[in-house]
Amino acid sequence: MALVTFDRVTLGYGRRAVLTDISFEIAEGDFLGLVGPNGAGKTTILRALLGSLEPLGGTVTRAPTLRFGYVPQRDQVDYSFPLKVLDVVMMGRYNRIGLGRRPSDDDRRRAREALEHVGIDRLAHRPLADLSGGQKQRTLIARALVGEPNVLVLDEPTTGMDLAATTRILGLVRELHERDGLTVLMVSHALNEVASYVERIALVVDGGFRIGTTDEIMTEPALTQMYGIQVRVDSVDGHRIVVARRRIGESVGTRV
Amino acid sequence: MFSTVLLFREALYGALVIALACSVIGVYVVLRRIVFVGAALAQISSAGIALALWLAGAGIAVGGAANPTVVSLLLTLVAVLFFASGTRGRVPPDATIGITYSVAAAVGILLIAKAASGEAHDIFLSGNILGITRRDTLLLLGVTVPVLGIHAVFYKELLFVSFDRETARTVGYNVRGWDLLLYLTLGVVIASAMQFAGVMLVFNFLVLPAVTGLLLSRSMRGVFLWSILSALVAAFAGFSLSVPFDLPSGPAISAVSGALVMISWGVRRVAAHA
Repeated sequence: MALVTFDRVTLGYGRRAVLTDISFEIAEGDFLGLVGPNGAGKTTILRALLGSLEPLGGTVTRAPTLRFGYVPQRDQVDYSFPLKVLDVVMMGRYNRIGLGRRPSDDDRRRAREALEHVGIDRLAHRPLADLSGGQKQRTLIARALVGEPNVLVLDEPTTGMDLAATTRILGLVRELHERDGLTVLMVSHALNEVASYVERIALVVDGGFRIGTTDEIMTEPALTQMYGIQVRVDSVDGHRIVVARRRIGESVGTRV
Repeated sequence: MFSTVLLFREALYGALVIALACSVIGVYVVLRRIVFVGAALAQISSAGIALALWLAGAGIAVGGAANPTVVSLLLTLVAVLFFASGTRGRVPPDATIGITYSVAAAVGILLIAKAASGEAHDIFLSGNILGITRRDTLLLLGVTVPVLGIHAVFYKELLFVSFDRETARTVGYNVRGWDLLLYLTLGVVIASAMQFAGVMLVFNFLVLPAVTGLLLSRSMRGVFLWSILSALVAAFAGFSLSVPFDLPSGPAISAVSGALVMISWGVRRVAAHA
């Protein structure tokens, strides 16, 4: 069952179209990566998906049962607020609690469970600002989960993290998808990182858009056409790695 | 000394009410980094008072149109709508605030220079705390109680849109609407306090107690409590010192507020190295 359907959608700001003729579906149980370089239009698609940007043309249809759990980029959150981890997670319940009402014991219990789910329940009473990047990201994921979403949307969840923290966060996201059956959309500029985890990839490059399974997208012809440069796709321990070729006979590893 | 202070107890009560209202809203002003929006609104509010006095002095307006609080409130609310709309153009937002502040200050001074009412000249800096009557205090309470009620009832909504507006928008919050509510409460408090406290003291109460709270506590509840407590202490101590020593009340209260910030900063430093 499709939770979100983009049908020949044109997106942009004012009268300026940024992306045209985009069609795809996010089905229940999907694990989709929305990948592209900075400035390519990922955020534009994300905003249209979340409903904060009206399309200039075409239609975006959302299932009535759709509930997003949104995990923003870590630097979008203001860490000068003196909030404890549990306070932040509780925010995920706010729209269920209702206007002007206080969180109940049940809300607090659910917030605790969400923290446990992402493995940081011991940090519940620590100030958010004191946490590491990975712990902050887990807090924001817990906040998204406590709202009981059926689609988890993560915006650049690993930006600024080292290799170990990146692996742990992406592993957690995959676990949420496999263990809990959660539909996941992960937005990222790092194709190599995302390709090892997701099942489908939507690639946005220079106004172009292409979507398919990881096997369909992670091919040399497809990526060469999208990025406009010669690329090579290798496999290391089952992970596909994309490297950009500088010239024939020489290849340079790069994050595409 | 205290018996002398008691002679002006109505003024003291008024100062405490202003301190209470500003110190609560000030937490959002500081955390949202809109300190200079507060300053600009205070300046616009004072220009509104000057406009009312000039209109009354020139015989152009009578009744509500010549009432400083009414005119100040109207002008401040117009400015609130402008700032809350978050309009983005070619002029950067902080420059827009600077222009508003500068023009409002200049217009206010020009209007006061030509106003018939000489007593109004002090409002731009030190206000007229000692002139507060019981009626004024009741008026201030009439504004403060509903404003604090709104902040208590909608605490979680105002907190969420201030902390992470994008996520709040995603889960269905009308972020602009909540921004407007916050700015409206800010504008109403500033406009009602301005003719008694003056630009300097209102701005002081909006910023310094909240900073004291942030230095002394690491929870939102603690920040609010310390902010309120330090504002009330500053109002009481500053006022009590100003009367027997014949000092202007507004600057005396501001100076105590500044001292509390310094003490809090010292406490924070000591606690960090303990």
